[in-house]
Amino acid sequence: MSDLKQTLISQFEENFEEIRKQWVITMQNLGHLKALTHDDIERQSKAICTTVINCLKTNSFKDAEAYAESLAKKAVLEAMTVDQIISGFLVLRDLYGRFIKKWYKDDFNQFFEVLDIYEPVARKIVYLVSNTFIQERDMVVKQQQEAILKLSTPLVQLWENVVLLPLIGVLDSVRAKQLIESVLMYIGQSKTEIIIMDIAGIAAIDTKTAHHILLTIQAAKLMGTEIIITGIRPEVATTLVTLGINMTGIETRSTLRDGVEYAFDKLGFKMLEAPKRQESREQSWKNQPSQS
Amino acid sequence: MEKSTIPILRLGNYLLTSPQIAIHDKIAVQYKDEILQKIVETKVKGLILDISAIDVVDSFLVRVISEIASSANLMGCPTVVSGMSPAVAITLAEMDLSLRGVFTALDIEKSLKILRGEEMRHT
Repeated sequence: MSDLKQTLISQFEENFEEIRKQWVITMQNLGHLKALTHDDIERQSKAICTTVINCLKTNSFKDAEAYAESLAKKAVLEAMTVDQIISGFLVLRDLYGRFIKKWYKDDFNQFFEVLDIYEPVARKIVYLVSNTFIQERDMVVKQQQEAILKLSTPLVQLWENVVLLPLIGVLDSVRAKQLIESVLMYIGQSKTEIIIMDIAGIAAIDTKTAHHILLTIQAAKLMGTEIIITGIRPEVATTLVTLGINMTGIETRSTLRDGVEYAFDKLGFKMLEAPKRQESREQSWKNQPSQS
Repeated sequence: MEKSTIPILRLGNYLLTSPQIAIHDKIAVQYKDEILQKIVETKVKGLILDISAIDVVDSFLVRVISEIASSANLMGCPTVVSGMSPAVAITLAEMDLSLRGVFTALDIEKSLKILRGEEMRHT
């Protein structure tokens, strides 16, 4: 380690408190620390200053990475936003720069040498912190996308051997692939005999989507499960006919109710009205004390 | 020619067979002949082909399976292919091989139900 660097580090360490206080003042003036308590400010400022000095000292950025990661993970909990934390590092970088100017302004050669030591480290830290935040965000977005995909194929058991699959929104190829996979896996696990695919929530359909739906139905048929389609909208029906998609051998019903009836009929169940209960309900309504 | 070593069992009025090993092309043809021969010998009223232990199929094996089913059908012996795994089902659907004229069922129990229904229909 060069002597100059050693001197610089010891200078930073000697002026640690002063730099830290100035950092806090600058940040407060910017309004970035409003949401933090006094203790939090002390802790954060100490951590941020120590990180920079440690990086300079060890010439490795492990500390900065770890610090940034811990910040990114709890950025939501601690009342600091991403831009506040990044601007925190930028402010600190400015402060160190100003101190360096103060200490070395008499000797330009030395001043530039010091800047050569200090600048790359400072830049790298800011880069690392921003990068870590972006990565953390990306991960959260990815997790949420997966969650949405999973939620997009809801399989609801209506009765023994009857499962409802209501589809809503747009069926693009990614979702359609997920649909095929999850439906077939579900059949493999649950051994359901009939699945009612209700596509009333799907506004438009194209060749690819229709193909995916047909593929699902065919594969399910091979496994021994019948998929019936309900709730085909007029536009969808027109599209299917115009595209010349062959739907023979596939049971379709206009409403979910009809679909359920078909499924029950096929499994040998029958839904009957219960006249007695209706009567008793009327009775109890009549027996209620009048409001007037 | 040696035997295929895949058991073909009689279960009341039906035949039940369930390959537990990978079926090579040579064995597959042998297997088909054995099943058809057995149908003639036992005069059964249905065949259950349980392929739940098969993870991978190629187009040849699919052809053999559909040949077994169609031939058995012609011999008055309705066939149910049971327990197809999701991976196999999606492969077949993607290859547009839909086993026409063959019953499919989720498991052996449901296959028996289908065969009984078929028997009732014909008598």
